[in-house]
Amino acid sequence: MINRRDFILGSVTLTMLGSPLFSARAEQLEKRNLVVILLRGGMDGLTAVPPKDPILASRRPDILVQNTLSLNSDFDLNPKLKEFYKCWQDGKASVVHATNIPYTMRSHFEGQDLMESGGRTPFAESTGWLGRGIQAANLDGLAISLPMPLLLRSQMSVDNYYPTHLDAPSLTMMEKVKATYPPDSLLAKTMEKVISRPVSMLQSSSSREAHSLARTASRMLAKADGPRVAVFDIEGFDTHTSQGGGEGEHADKLADYDLILSRLRQGMGEAFNNTVIVTLTEFGRKLHQNGGNGTEHGYGTAVLLAGGLVKGGVVHADWPGLQKKNLFEGQDLNATTDARSIYCSAMATCFQVDFEHLRRDVFWNESLTDLTSQLFI
Amino acid sequence: MATKANFFRKIAFGLNTNDDKPTSPIEWAKSQVDNVPDMVWDAPIPTGKDMLDNYAKWVSTDRRVLRKKYKGDRAGYEAAKEKLRSETGERYYENLELCIRHNTALKSGAPVFERLWMFWCNHFAIIEKDFLAEFSTGPYHREIIRQKMTGQFVDLAKAATTSWAMIHNLDNSESVGPNSTEGRNQKKNGQVVSVNENHARELLELHTVSPAAKYTQDDVVALSYIMAGWEHPWSKKREECNPVKFNQKKHQPGKHTVLGKTYKQKGFTSKNKLLEVLEDLSENPNTRRFIAFKLCRHFITDQPTEAMMDPILKAWEETGGHLPSVHKALIDVTYEYTDSELKFQNPEVWMLQMVNLTNANWPPQADDMKYNFLTKPSFLKRRPENIMREIGHLPYRPIQPNGFSDMEQDWISPELLIRRLAMPQELSMYIRGQVNMENIIEKNCSYPDEPLKIVSKMNTQLQRMQYFFPSYWMLKA
Repeated sequence: MINRRDFILGSVTLTMLGSPLFSARAEQLEKRNLVVILLRGGMDGLTAVPPKDPILASRRPDILVQNTLSLNSDFDLNPKLKEFYKCWQDGKASVVHATNIPYTMRSHFEGQDLMESGGRTPFAESTGWLGRGIQAANLDGLAISLPMPLLLRSQMSVDNYYPTHLDAPSLTMMEKVKATYPPDSLLAKTMEKVISRPVSMLQSSSSREAHSLARTASRMLAKADGPRVAVFDIEGFDTHTSQGGGEGEHADKLADYDLILSRLRQGMGEAFNNTVIVTLTEFGRKLHQNGGNGTEHGYGTAVLLAGGLVKGGVVHADWPGLQKKNLFEGQDLNATTDARSIYCSAMATCFQVDFEHLRRDVFWNESLTDLTSQLFI
Repeated sequence: MATKANFFRKIAFGLNTNDDKPTSPIEWAKSQVDNVPDMVWDAPIPTGKDMLDNYAKWVSTDRRVLRKKYKGDRAGYEAAKEKLRSETGERYYENLELCIRHNTALKSGAPVFERLWMFWCNHFAIIEKDFLAEFSTGPYHREIIRQKMTGQFVDLAKAATTSWAMIHNLDNSESVGPNSTEGRNQKKNGQVVSVNENHARELLELHTVSPAAKYTQDDVVALSYIMAGWEHPWSKKREECNPVKFNQKKHQPGKHTVLGKTYKQKGFTSKNKLLEVLEDLSENPNTRRFIAFKLCRHFITDQPTEAMMDPILKAWEETGGHLPSVHKALIDVTYEYTDSELKFQNPEVWMLQMVNLTNANWPPQADDMKYNFLTKPSFLKRRPENIMREIGHLPYRPIQPNGFSDMEQDWISPELLIRRLAMPQELSMYIRGQVNMENIIEKNCSYPDEPLKIVSKMNTQLQRMQYFFPSYWMLKA
């Protein structure tokens, strides 16, 4: 295996983009995969990975997670995260807790925009951190959704996949339609992707269930010449009511994540060992339950890491505590780690590009911490 | 030479071969926004009240009868639930609503009004949650949003905010003021009591002043206090499916300050506090700016300018938010920018334009949609939903309360483009007779020469459709 540190590609900068030498980069690299699972609506880190702290029980008497799995002396795991727990036991999963993107205003739409763009000003960027990272490393990605998430957008065009029963017209016809699009427009670039697709991706297929999509994605990711990046989208973490504990709506959504993880692990086989699967959400939820057995929008949360490239069995946290004085605005778990440090480190590991390079080119030189050696093999 | 023919697609669904070209496009458009056109459907249209009954029957029978009766008998439960699905039209009504929506859009005689209706439905969006899309969102669009489009914005905002669909959508029934009668009782019983901030936050952020107003978390909480008590009462027989009422016992008493103004308890009930806040929010300059911006972004360009927004803001200020006046100002601006700005058409509008221009026999009509409420609806009866799902635009199922995007980049991906490429063939199954493509292009494209040249060389009708509808000329207007 190529040692990442031996492979610090100081020379891989934007200046090399577009050069014919560089376009062969993907072929020369060991194939490593990065899967990002978007958890929209505000995933509650205190429900996914509850700290063993009596304060939690006192603030959440009706929605406390029961029958938890124990991770270590300080943290438990939601029992719906079964596959994650298996990965944990196999040394292939870890958690970063008390973390979030630097956004504290509690709006879903601003928060989701920022979790995908990686910036600080809502709706200011038209590209996503993963798209820019892929571009900086000259690789390719795949979204498993009908629209293209902001996260994957960049100056380059990225592919997506979503089964349909409809039949595309002939390639000749598509070329004619493409000729009506302005050269270099998003439409033209997107049409280029459609035209250059393998026929298998244009053929109709039936299921759009998350687990079936995950199986398809796992096969593509496992292929030596397949995409290296995949993005899944799960909605519905915004549980103002009926959040529940080990059962309930939040736990059901965690189970959706877990099912995708399990299908990916199964379908990727050996390739799972060369993979990082990381979660991304806009914010956590308030410590106190509300009157409707739910929780309101908060701040700090947890990021789940799985895959063979993860240094497993650790909950990484500069834990701020749950006492009122330690809470953000007296209400939320604080965030002591900028989650973008995790994402930048995950890209550095999977794309085999220097952290500093990505920090500059993808995250505008913001002061992020290099966590690659802490979090990843 | 540009002909400004794009205007008819920019603001409506284009002109079809039977339409005469209006001598004054601006007057043609403006004449459509003063009155609410009737829905066009050749059978009785279910009322919101009927549909709430269906919703009640669906949830209460499932929760209270079937789950108990078939406890431990999975197969028996599934079979009984399938029967209930048919009885209540759980798989049927969303399809029916789509037919009514699209039939009306194409045949009400006021396509400009219909486009504006779609805009406002999306502004006060109801998300895909519980069984709202199956039973409630269609009636909410028809009976609440549509009926308020010829009055003042404030009345539209009041009606949407206090509607059953919105109260359920944004959890306001779950909100209990900590110092309310009910809140104090619940606390005595050891329960956690707090307001639910969801509705208050979206009312500020998405429906009225937008984040430009720089409201704070304290404003959100104060507005939640004011809104606490607006609920759909819960009952054993109908679960959550009871008409919205103001429940004084859940309301947080006292004064609350939102955006610098303090709202006081008035008289016997504090119901009016919310209505008073809505009046102030509707008059707030940030609200009209936000909506003028959104109107321009929806109809004219992804990047509206101050110059585009100015006439709309002026009309709003002069009339205190009289919607027909605001809409007329928008029509002027849209016409002015017709050939200098191109707007990417979202999948639903594009689909309806394609249906209109080809005179396709779509959507299914009242006769096709007659349903026995005994068996699973047929393929054709479920087709409207399938097609809209396929192209990524089920209008009753936006995923988030900010509705569907108006931005081009959100509607372009390889998979979404494949749908645009494939739909002409799908639609061709519903077209009887010849499509006069030359006539369509001349009437609907500001620059018809090039598409006319290419289309004239194509042999079959299908090829002409496969070429023109996903082309740049048609995707943009």
